[in-house]
Amino acid sequence: MSNLVRSELLKIRTTSTWWWLAIGALLSIAMAFPINAWLFNTAVGGNAEDIGLTGDAASAPAQAANLYTSGQYLGLMFVMLIGILMVTNEFFHQTATTTFLATPRRTTVIVSKLIAASLLGFAFWLVTTVIDLGAGAIFLSLNDHGTLLGEWEVQRALLLNLMAYAIWTVLGVGIGTLITNQLGAVITSSVLYLIGTQVVSLLFFMLSSWLDSVAVLKWQVLWPAVASQVMITPGENEMLPAWWVGALVLIGYALVSGIVGVLITRRRDIS
Amino acid sequence: MSDGQSRPNDAQIVVSGLTKQYRNVLAVNNLSFTVQPGRVTGFLGPNGAGKTTTLRMLLNLVTPTSGTATIGGQRYPELTAPLRHVGAVLEASSAHKGRTGINHLRVLCAAAGLPRQRADEALALVGLTPAAKRKFKGYSLGMKQRLGIAAAMLGDPRVLILDEPANGLDPEGIRWMRGFLKGLAAEGRTVLVSSHLLSEMQLLADDVVIIAAGQLVRQGPVEQVIGSMAQGVRVRVRTPQAEALTTALAGGPATVQTDEHGTLLIAGVDAPTVGRAALGAGVELHELTTERPDLERVFLELTAGKAGIR
Repeated sequence: MSNLVRSELLKIRTTSTWWWLAIGALLSIAMAFPINAWLFNTAVGGNAEDIGLTGDAASAPAQAANLYTSGQYLGLMFVMLIGILMVTNEFFHQTATTTFLATPRRTTVIVSKLIAASLLGFAFWLVTTVIDLGAGAIFLSLNDHGTLLGEWEVQRALLLNLMAYAIWTVLGVGIGTLITNQLGAVITSSVLYLIGTQVVSLLFFMLSSWLDSVAVLKWQVLWPAVASQVMITPGENEMLPAWWVGALVLIGYALVSGIVGVLITRRRDIS
Repeated sequence: MSDGQSRPNDAQIVVSGLTKQYRNVLAVNNLSFTVQPGRVTGFLGPNGAGKTTTLRMLLNLVTPTSGTATIGGQRYPELTAPLRHVGAVLEASSAHKGRTGINHLRVLCAAAGLPRQRADEALALVGLTPAAKRKFKGYSLGMKQRLGIAAAMLGDPRVLILDEPANGLDPEGIRWMRGFLKGLAAEGRTVLVSSHLLSEMQLLADDVVIIAAGQLVRQGPVEQVIGSMAQGVRVRVRTPQAEALTTALAGGPATVQTDEHGTLLIAGVDAPTVGRAALGAGVELHELTTERPDLERVFLELTAGKAGIR
């Protein structure tokens, strides 16, 4: 098994795809960080109401947590794409043949991909977090807030963010086994991630006003991208489920897609 | 390989009652044959005969509807170290286009638990060392085939299975491949090669397995399969006086047929006999050729009417 994980990591290292996605992840930090820094200053500076933030969400620790996880929204999409490509590349370049000749036990191959994917998710989290920590600590110190790294709320956000990275990469592998067409899988999942979430929010908002029930909004957590947001958001209220609900939903998706992916791959004819 | 010589059955391929039913097509129909170590076996059939499907079922890439295929008595997924036992070359394009040749092999070495330097050795074996660090998309078709063979040789296997390995090779490459595969068989390994290049197969193969429409047509040593055909040696004659020559040969053992171009195909007598008869009858000859049956003729007769799209 360790041989296979090593082989999967070597597959990723020996092509340029991961490099482009890493650049994408870095660019998303570069875009998100200034916005989050501005949000911090506005919220903590007493103008939280102007940008629709109230209560806990406007506190310095909550805003610091947001700042220290800058670029996470697109970063998660990029690691999901890596997970997808880990599988669809095998079919696009017809390397599934040599892969399954070297290891005819297909469950082992997919499980190795899942392990390699979560290691890769960890690496992406580590690099983006180190950058965010450096930039965030400098920004906060320069603005006389201290680093705020001692706050549990901040530490919690960093750790849950790690979990999010690992789960989304695994989820990507699962999606790749379900949709083996490379272009199809990449486009479908990106569109669902970026636009699907807005559509789902809108649908739930309409449903909520039609049923005259705010609690309905909680069920948005069933959508993976929302679950991911819920997981890293502290606190809960009548519209927002607790963080662990989001975590369970996300892990559920990763498990189901992984298991279904293994079952499908075991039966598939490679030709 | 000493291993292969001491336990020859370890490298025997046995296909037994193999059947693959796709939604609309019966690709392989109750196919049985064996492949012996120490010989090159040509796996022949018209396009769509089920050659590739059969090889893929043998390698567990395609699940048979029924029947079994074993290598040394074991199904492919039961082999403990498949790449050390079996090497396969299935399609020339199965490597990531953005990955270098050497890295393609290193990935496989890692997966199979083989030492990393096997990648360099296998690349040297097929003469691809100068292109080791070039990306796969820059390889010619012939180089891709060589890389495929290098991948198959990584584990120094006792059994080699190749699907159309000569595709895209230039004459020099084809000659290299012939020597390479014959050398492997001479070492006691099992070599199963599918192809539709019949003249090449006649030079390369010791045994042939011929299939058509998913079914076995003939199996055996090449000479035996050729010799089994009803029509043996025949003499081909072009003459403006066909009737005079036919008359001159009448009464003897000769049987004369005429093809669509008016050329005579004479069986039962040899070329000197025909020449003497023509001289005696004052018949003018434009061509007098001895035709020996070859693999191509045998193949076309055996598979006649069974080729094409199903």
